[in-house]
Amino acid sequence: MTAEYIVIHPRNIFSDEEANERFDIIDMYDLERTDLTPYTCMIVLNFVDQDYLLEQKAVIDAFLAAGKIVAFFGNLVTPWLEGQSMFIPKEIRWHGDYNISIASDHPIFDGVLEDDMTTNKGVKGFFARGHHEAPAHAEVLLTLPDGETVTYIDRTSTNGTIFMHAGGNLFRIGLGMKNQPTKTTDVIPARMEAWVDEEWARLKGAKINA
Amino acid sequence: MRKIAVFYSGSSHHSRTYKTSEFGQYIDVCIPARHFAEASLDDMDVLIIPSQSHLGLLEQNVDKIYAFANSGKTVVTFGPQHRDWLPEQNWEFRPTNFWWWLETGADSGLRLPGETHDLFTNYLTLDDATWHQHGVYWPTDGCETLVSTVDGGSVLYIDKVNTSGTWINTTLDPDYHYGSYFMPATERFLRGFLPWLKEGVL
Repeated sequence: MTAEYIVIHPRNIFSDEEANERFDIIDMYDLERTDLTPYTCMIVLNFVDQDYLLEQKAVIDAFLAAGKIVAFFGNLVTPWLEGQSMFIPKEIRWHGDYNISIASDHPIFDGVLEDDMTTNKGVKGFFARGHHEAPAHAEVLLTLPDGETVTYIDRTSTNGTIFMHAGGNLFRIGLGMKNQPTKTTDVIPARMEAWVDEEWARLKGAKINA
Repeated sequence: MRKIAVFYSGSSHHSRTYKTSEFGQYIDVCIPARHFAEASLDDMDVLIIPSQSHLGLLEQNVDKIYAFANSGKTVVTFGPQHRDWLPEQNWEFRPTNFWWWLETGADSGLRLPGETHDLFTNYLTLDDATWHQHGVYWPTDGCETLVSTVDGGSVLYIDKVNTSGTWINTTLDPDYHYGSYFMPATERFLRGFLPWLKEGVL
């Protein structure tokens, strides 16, 4: 059972318009007119209009209530995503404050070097410059040096699963600006898809057994 | 004091730069881009079109933005544009070197033909306008370039000749970078640029 993706797209100049055939892209403002029934995973990109999403919170709540997956990449500034806290920027005293750590073993980041996530051409800070405080019981994947939860999976705030990452899209675009030699982070997009498939199978199984 | 409106796309970047940070004080109204077509601009003097705006809504409102300028008012555009829609726009894309400052003895490649302009005598230094560029403009005669590349391409210029109003166009995107907690120069740029828009000599 593979997942069907819908991408909530902000239509700004920096966001890629192209994706492989597994991803259906809609203009974010079409969310209220879109039949979400066929989709199992909603990807919400950085740059989305979070005032609009707050107006459409009931749509997103219903998607999660149906036991589906929402993945958000960016900084949350309005409370449109159930149970999630607002973005908190990291106070930077030196560049080491941007260091990313793998907080718990997870297939998405298995074999990925922390330094490859932290550093781009010797410069830090592209990956995440702050965090969202994870809800209790969330599975925390990546943190900043003081334990700030940059990336986590929340299976308790809703009937579905929320994947939160306080940075760029991990599914396809890669990390930061993609103008460099191969890094261990290159495996992340495919791992994300594999994780969504597993998570969807788990959620579906939970529904059948309920 | 001029009244400043923003064509507001609601991203976390726009939220920080134009609403919740120290710079919110300079903005009189953030008009949601999706309601811009119906909004009144009558009381406004300046309209900012941020970088990373929703392109569909920007396209739908180009005529309204021109009408605002042609009523003798001021339009500010940040960042690279998706197509040539500015008055007599002549854009040259250049691959962005995000890393120039890592090189030994690095020269940002920027020059300041507008050093005697109010913006740079009272509000900003060239350093405050120095990060990367995404390309350059080649404005028509009569436009005033304040910041240029070494070869004369325009990074920030004022156009009072191609419409009945004033356009301040820059390839720089300080609102995006400040809104993503990125690049300290962009904060200094906004600390000078927005007060100048509010009260300076345009």
